[in-house]
Amino acid sequence: MGTTARSLPRTRPVTADRSWRLRQRLLAAGRYALLIGFLVVFLVPFVWYASMALKTERQIAASPFGLPIPPAWDNLEQAWTLGRYSQYLPNTVVYAVAVIAGVCTFSCLSGYALARLTFPGRNLMFLLLLVGITVPFQSLMIPTYYLARDLNILGTRLGMIVPATAFGLSFGSFLMRAFFRGLPEEIADAARVDGGSEWRVFRDVMLPLARPGLATLATFSFLETWTAFLLPLVLVQRDELRPVSLGLLFFTGRYSSDRGLIAAGVMFTIVPIILVYIALQRKFIEGITAGALK
Amino acid sequence: MAYPMRQRGLLSGITRPRRVNWIAYLFMLPTVVLYSLFVLYPFVASFSLSLTDWNGADSVRTFVGFDNYVRLVRDGVLRTALTHNLVWMVVGSAGGIGLGFLLALLVWHRPRGFVLFRTVFFLPQVLGAAVVGIIWKLIYRPYKGLLYELGETFDIPFLRFPFLGETTTALGAILAAAIWAGAGFFFVILLAGLQNVDRDLLDAARVDGASGAQRLRHVVVPQLAPIFTLVLVLALIGSLNVFDIVWAMTEGGPANSTEVIGTYSYTKAFLESNVGYAAALTMVMTALAIGVSAVLIRIRARQEV
Repeated sequence: MGTTARSLPRTRPVTADRSWRLRQRLLAAGRYALLIGFLVVFLVPFVWYASMALKTERQIAASPFGLPIPPAWDNLEQAWTLGRYSQYLPNTVVYAVAVIAGVCTFSCLSGYALARLTFPGRNLMFLLLLVGITVPFQSLMIPTYYLARDLNILGTRLGMIVPATAFGLSFGSFLMRAFFRGLPEEIADAARVDGGSEWRVFRDVMLPLARPGLATLATFSFLETWTAFLLPLVLVQRDELRPVSLGLLFFTGRYSSDRGLIAAGVMFTIVPIILVYIALQRKFIEGITAGALK
Repeated sequence: MAYPMRQRGLLSGITRPRRVNWIAYLFMLPTVVLYSLFVLYPFVASFSLSLTDWNGADSVRTFVGFDNYVRLVRDGVLRTALTHNLVWMVVGSAGGIGLGFLLALLVWHRPRGFVLFRTVFFLPQVLGAAVVGIIWKLIYRPYKGLLYELGETFDIPFLRFPFLGETTTALGAILAAAIWAGAGFFFVILLAGLQNVDRDLLDAARVDGASGAQRLRHVVVPQLAPIFTLVLVLALIGSLNVFDIVWAMTEGGPANSTEVIGTYSYTKAFLESNVGYAAALTMVMTALAIGVSAVLIRIRARQEV
């Protein structure tokens, strides 16, 4: 209620103005106190884990809230080798890159067709794609598991990548369709009048204009893949192929008595995604809210 | 729907006939193949599996008709699980949306440090529910968890309780973690909504002597009504489908005290190899998800008019 209110007090008597200002100040101070309180509640777990990751079990036991001095780098080293983070992390990157590439490429094509091209069956395809948006993965997990087994991709990286891509396509197609519909038709028409084929119109004229939509979709798919849990839980049964979020579950189960080691695993899981989030914050928030408003 | 722009403008007289773009099928091909195989087929297959008593290993699947669905009705664990989903809908939604709205109101006027606050409040969203669950499982852990240590250090006996290990507190403890993680999501959406609230109306109410609470109740909230509806439906869908955070923290235990339909169907399908019955359970989830989504689609259709 700050800036717009400031013009009002002029009409009030001076004394009222002073007490009004005091009240405003108190309000602002209270608001800040609350905000900082919440900031602490949201950050304390991270600080706790970060400090534990650099302490030995004995250091933690001696002073659970003390600073990690001297820092114990062993935890990180052990989580990396013993805890298989040297495999979990590259796995996650491979999954994310592959799924983003697949989802973005295929969604661009189908989204464009659904938005801009005329063909029999278009409305039916649109309706069928709705199924994938409405239905949770749980509804599909059982047949998907046996399908992956029968296709012999269950124990491989493809066993994660292909279903994850397929599952991302319905939202991707919807997002890209909406984006292509928002572009002015005249641009495409101008290119057509100049004699361009539909493929040329798509590739040279429309696709470059769709870049912001693609960036949002890429961010969304990245987050979905990085944080995927049930999908790899069902489809990725070999430890050396697990992504970080699933790997962390088994890692914490295996080394449950060693807090420093567990904390190191947590750090390996969350620090990369937090860094990407901070770098691309606006896109992240856009991506997640676009996902919600689908 | 096809060429709305052709109706007017330069091209109006010389419109091409509505031509079929055959190339569209090439555009659709990869999506149709992958989607049919890994979404549409499993969607249909779930239903047909739910009519069998398959155990996942045998080559024979006996058709049992709607037997599994009859069993669903008498399944006490399912009833417990659905009750927890219902609790989740009420407490989880109210808590998450309430906290998110409070946070949004606190930073509405972009105080100094706005970007920091927004970044931190939204942070749990990017970790994923499973990782949030694992982090909180260790925070609640007796003897070695954060809360226990805080209880030791500052002598607060209440905090030394094994929250996840007791049937009375486990669900509440998971819900608290879920609210902590979910608030940032509602915060961002509601904050976007607050940016569109009519400031003149607010000032008018202030001049008329409305208190802060009155302005909130009679000016801000009514203008946000469509967004609240949307956010509520999203929260309800999320409450029905919840799995990751519960599985990561308790796997539905102890003694089914945190069981939700998502964890129950996973357990039946992959730990107890009761595939036919699990498929019937997932059909219940599908039906509920479609029901709530239908409401959402209708609401959105009405809003877009």
